[in-house]
Amino acid sequence: MSFFLCIEVALREIWAHRFRSLLSMMGIILGVSSLLTTMALTAGIEKGMRATLQQVGGLEGLEITDKELVGALQDFWSLSPGRTIEDARAIKASAPLISYVTPEIIFGAKVGTYGNGNADGYTITGCWPDYMQIKNHELAAGRFISDLDDEEGHHCAVIGATISQNLWPGKPPIEVLGNTIFINDIAFKVVGVFIRYERDYEKIREKTGSTKASAQRREKRGLITRPNARDPFSWKNQAVIIPYSTMFYEFRSGLFPDDSLYSYRMNALEIKVKDINFFDQALDQTRAAMNVTHRNVDDFAFNTKEDWVDRIDSSVKANQISGGIIAGISLLVGGIGIANIMLASISERVREIGIRRAVGARGRDIFLQILVESVAIATIGAVLGIFAGIALMQLFVMISPEQNSPILQFSSIFISVGFAILAGIISGIYPALKASRLDPITALRYE
Amino acid sequence: MSAIVLEKVYKTYHVGDQEIHALNGVDLRIERGEFASIIGPSGSGKSTMMHLLGCLDTPSKGKLEICGHDISSASSNALSGIRNREIGFVFQSFNLLARFNILENVELPLIYGGLTASERKKKAAAIIKTVGLEERMYNRPSQLSGGQCQRVAIARALVNDPEIILADEPTGNLDTATGQNILALFKDLHKSGRTVILVTHDPRIAATTPRVIEISDGKIVSGKT
Repeated sequence: MSFFLCIEVALREIWAHRFRSLLSMMGIILGVSSLLTTMALTAGIEKGMRATLQQVGGLEGLEITDKELVGALQDFWSLSPGRTIEDARAIKASAPLISYVTPEIIFGAKVGTYGNGNADGYTITGCWPDYMQIKNHELAAGRFISDLDDEEGHHCAVIGATISQNLWPGKPPIEVLGNTIFINDIAFKVVGVFIRYERDYEKIREKTGSTKASAQRREKRGLITRPNARDPFSWKNQAVIIPYSTMFYEFRSGLFPDDSLYSYRMNALEIKVKDINFFDQALDQTRAAMNVTHRNVDDFAFNTKEDWVDRIDSSVKANQISGGIIAGISLLVGGIGIANIMLASISERVREIGIRRAVGARGRDIFLQILVESVAIATIGAVLGIFAGIALMQLFVMISPEQNSPILQFSSIFISVGFAILAGIISGIYPALKASRLDPITALRYE
Repeated sequence: MSAIVLEKVYKTYHVGDQEIHALNGVDLRIERGEFASIIGPSGSGKSTMMHLLGCLDTPSKGKLEICGHDISSASSNALSGIRNREIGFVFQSFNLLARFNILENVELPLIYGGLTASERKKKAAAIIKTVGLEERMYNRPSQLSGGQCQRVAIARALVNDPEIILADEPTGNLDTATGQNILALFKDLHKSGRTVILVTHDPRIAATTPRVIEISDGKIVSGKT
């Protein structure tokens, strides 16, 4: 009996017992849909975490932090000037494997326009022009701060999209340029506006004109959707960037009598490695440069994002394992269900098997017929499971945090269908073997 | 060459500790083109005989040849092949597949003979025509009368052009008139040159065949030659 004929006969048999077949498919449907959903959820979580990682500068970006000296080394603490702008200059001058360096001073301030809003709680960052590349910023209009701005202490600022919208509602970024903002009542000219940072699918959603399902539901219930309610990149969209020197002279000098631009201990020092393949060498160069400025006092450390990547990997793995176990159990149960139904089916069809044997079917013809039927049930179950999984995923899109929205991958469809077919084969083998070993005479006499 | 040769054939069944000798050293020879009936009361070994002649089973001892194939020690797959090519079965209870139409039922032996779909259909349709059921080709067996069902079964037995037609109580489930029609059909088959063997317990039906082989207690009582 040819293979295609086997499939045809199997499909007829399944159709003849539609309801029973559907019930026996239930386990496979659950297994496939849960496998698919788990993989999509995991992929979504992973993508969300990686997108966030990319937004803070990717793996190449890292922060140089203070390190506490322990034990006897504490005595040397006063020898080192700590992290100052001199470190940034030294790295820039003598660490060629480092592509970007910026010192940072950060403080919270009121931001407003003349006569409009003077809201507290914005974070102002004073930095060098390299900050733009280190933080993967993109401009919607204007320019970023320049070396000249820093040298001459210009009162210029680059602002995030949210601030722009709050202060000048409805104005496109290009019209915001040239306006004045007040940071703690000191005037700054807006020279650049960043783009709105959002996740890929949000951009797609805006392009196609559809609004967020969650926002629609909130509106229906009469709730107001705050524009940044769940914006994972709010820290970037609310950024206010000014030159480092301006920051120091306007907001930080004079706090302590000895402070100068060169000796001020900055809040953060960030660098970006040119080539990730020479990561360790780049760190060595940086360390060498800083050992000079810090007089060989080992009071600094590198805060890389490698452990961040490790965290992503391990949480993805944990998700995959737990989801895989659930899906595996469902598929196992589904397989047992199919085996059960196939056993019932062959004991119903003993006579048919006898007739087929009498007219010349070999044992393996019967074996193939039963096996194909079992695989067909599993395959149909898998297809239904894909649809169920997609439906389930739509549900998850609505209820899960947006940065972790599930992503359906084609590879996961193949994997789950593959497992379902495997379950079909395994669960079909025993019934098929049993059917093929039936004695033709007994089978023909069976009532 | 003989169609069927049995030499000192024994068949022994084991039921628990008991040994049941269904056939006790049977010698029999049926030539090609013969029309014979095998008759005997129940328990006589008649059914066992039919299973052996139909290649559904192999003898415990002795030599059995069907159309020149020695099946005394043939494998299960070889038996399937011989059943498929050399033997056409007609059963008392028709044994048609209820979920398939007449055409598909008749096609069944051809499926295992490895023919393509169009060849199968052509051959099956031609045979159905010879038994006069071309109008009912796409009906299910449940929509047919008993006589018609038995015609379908005969068409199925004939479709692979076998040497031997083996009929087990073919008129047992039919009324007398329909039974006569079916018997006439077997006579026609005999005339066209096939070996036809009827297995029955009814002497009146056995009387219609030129040769009557009588079995009792696992031995052939009469009609050996």
